[in-house]
Amino acid sequence: MEVRDLVVRFGPVVAVDGVHLTAGAGASTALLGRNGAGKSTTMRVLAGVVPPTSGTVRVAGLDVVADPLAVKRAIGYCPDVGGLVPRATPWEHLQLAARLRRMRDWEPRARELLERFELGAEAHRVTAGFSHGMSRRLSVLLAAFHDPSVLLLDEPFDGVDPVGVEATMDVVADARARGAAVLLSTHLRELAVQACAEAVVLRGGAQVAVMDAAAMSGEEGARVYRGLLD
Amino acid sequence: MSTAVSSTEVSRPGRGRRLDRLPGGSHVADVGSLLAMRGGLAHGRAARRLGPVLVVLTVAVVVVPAFVGPGLGQGRAFDVLLLLPSGYAAFGGLALASAIASGGGRELLPREQATPYPVSAATDHLGALVLAPLNIAWILQAWLLLGGTSYAVGPAHLVAAQSVVVAWLLAATAVVQVLAWLLEALRRRPYGVWVVRALGLVLVATVAALQVTGTTQQALDALPTEVLVRAGVAGPAGFSGLWVATVATLLVVTVLAVVAGAWAAGVAARRAPREEVRAETGSRTPRRAPRTDVGALLRLDRASVWRAVPMRRGLVVLAVMPGLIAVLGALPWESAIILPGLVASGGALLFGVNAWCLDGRGGLWRESLPVAPGLVFGARALVLAEALLLASGGTLVMAALRAGAPTSAELAAVLAVWVVVVAQAVSASMTWSARSPYAVDLRSARATPAPPAVMVVYSAKLALTTTLTGLVFAVTARAPDPTVPLVTAGVFLLWSAVRLLRARDVWVDPVRRAGVVTTVAA
Repeated sequence: MEVRDLVVRFGPVVAVDGVHLTAGAGASTALLGRNGAGKSTTMRVLAGVVPPTSGTVRVAGLDVVADPLAVKRAIGYCPDVGGLVPRATPWEHLQLAARLRRMRDWEPRARELLERFELGAEAHRVTAGFSHGMSRRLSVLLAAFHDPSVLLLDEPFDGVDPVGVEATMDVVADARARGAAVLLSTHLRELAVQACAEAVVLRGGAQVAVMDAAAMSGEEGARVYRGLLD
Repeated sequence: MSTAVSSTEVSRPGRGRRLDRLPGGSHVADVGSLLAMRGGLAHGRAARRLGPVLVVLTVAVVVVPAFVGPGLGQGRAFDVLLLLPSGYAAFGGLALASAIASGGGRELLPREQATPYPVSAATDHLGALVLAPLNIAWILQAWLLLGGTSYAVGPAHLVAAQSVVVAWLLAATAVVQVLAWLLEALRRRPYGVWVVRALGLVLVATVAALQVTGTTQQALDALPTEVLVRAGVAGPAGFSGLWVATVATLLVVTVLAVVAGAWAAGVAARRAPREEVRAETGSRTPRRAPRTDVGALLRLDRASVWRAVPMRRGLVVLAVMPGLIAVLGALPWESAIILPGLVASGGALLFGVNAWCLDGRGGLWRESLPVAPGLVFGARALVLAEALLLASGGTLVMAALRAGAPTSAELAAVLAVWVVVVAQAVSASMTWSARSPYAVDLRSARATPAPPAVMVVYSAKLALTTTLTGLVFAVTARAPDPTVPLVTAGVFLLWSAVRLLRARDVWVDPVRRAGVVTTVAA
């Protein structure tokens, strides 16, 4: 995963202004920053949802502008908001993903993930009735379902209970173990430190620091992080 | 943070303060604040022009027919006068159907957005009343009554007769709002859905019984709305004791209904919407995995439409109500040919004009899936077309019960107009969906896929287009050769196909598509 000079504009608004990012196989990177720093927009560009205004973005060796469909085959994306079709069930989400990603014999894997995220009993309920935490867990599950080579998790811990956090940590660890690159955006600094080896801090759409995630840990890490945000 | 004045805040100096001192004034002030919060309901150039256009057209409808007609009691004016009582009653009936189908009435602020604010049931009720006329069906019927009355009574009785019509429009709108809230409250009781459905069947059975016994005309003649016509023409220049009594009664009824509606809205609000809750919490039987990409897309899109209580209910009402009118009026094919256009327009307004909002916040996830955007577009357009074909087809089947055996040209014209108006509604909907997306939660029957003023513009455009198309095919139905309507249909379909392809081009463009997806998922 390689991002160079990424700029994203929505009309007069510059959402991302010069982000550089590199993450190799097996690497996990935390994307940190205040609200509106450009984290989610960067994630959306990497997921092929939002095209970049300028800059170079390559995911799994593929250019997101030149070959967006191939990029989408390579990534698994958990969006920051919702991420679920309201009147479809989790199983129907999985069926659609499996079909479009050409997955074979996917059902045992789907059931195992549903159980891991404690959604087995809800597999055939429409997601409109889900709590926020349940929706988040299902979004993470859908992102990890096909063992993508690039896993993009935007606010995966938001409103999620400890069981869900643990399952998400396992998903991240599994992805790294099989050589996938992981990019994780969150406001929960300690969880970011726990899940990732490297941290990238964004401010006002621009990148302000790249450092070891461990340097963000504890009270000293909090002080460092706060200093980068102001 | 809310900047709106709410009923819980200490009133501010000025207009709001004076309103707060009136009984129920705080609710009126809250409605004003909510209207302001939605930007005065005006979005876009067309919506901003809406107010002046409506005023000019209404004045024209009120004044012009009076001076082109033959005068009170003369020729066709007398025929129109005889039809007015049925017209007044029909206005009430269709307004009631609209209010019931929308779960009590349209919401001023979407449910999800209203959650943090202290919006009372009374404010909600007043908001629904304010929005009731912002509906093309309401506007067209009101114009029909105003114009028909104007034509029937002539210039001498114009002011008196039109004041009765306006008082009737107000009273009927307020009363049907009360009934709609009460039915919604009933629907939310245990087995309430079945009770309401049974009431609907009783209505259908009554209409059928009137038809079978040949007493429809007697029933229409016995309608109490006949007094409204007499009140407008009783005295010199229309003003008489009857006029005073009628207008005063209607205004009192309006005030009482507004107050009663606030109570009824409160009753409905205290009960959970059982049908919607059951739809969101019940289990679905899993089906085997789809075999094709388009099959998978269609399945999810169909689920988004048919599992939504408001959309199911709306499509059924749209199919049945015009069908009942066709049966009741024994409409011949040359008149019934207009109906598919109206049904298709109404169906498109349920969700089609903002078709991508069906995905809600799942739009971002769906957009991250590896599938050609053109295929996604095609599936969505097809699912919309299916729904519209089904609803308008249901209306045609009902109309066929009384329309008699069609000639070959009539049959060809009806089938052609059915397909053509659906194609028009789909192409217009998909164009608007890509051009002006809105983040809307359509779980509530009270929600609309776009802001109310925009909905009026959309519905006016759709109704005008499909009605004119219906009139064209009504002419072709008289042709000696059935190929005439079919060839005409080819021309219309070609234009709709061009529009649909243009809309597809917009959707396929990654920048435009990103704008749509991020907007509906916001």
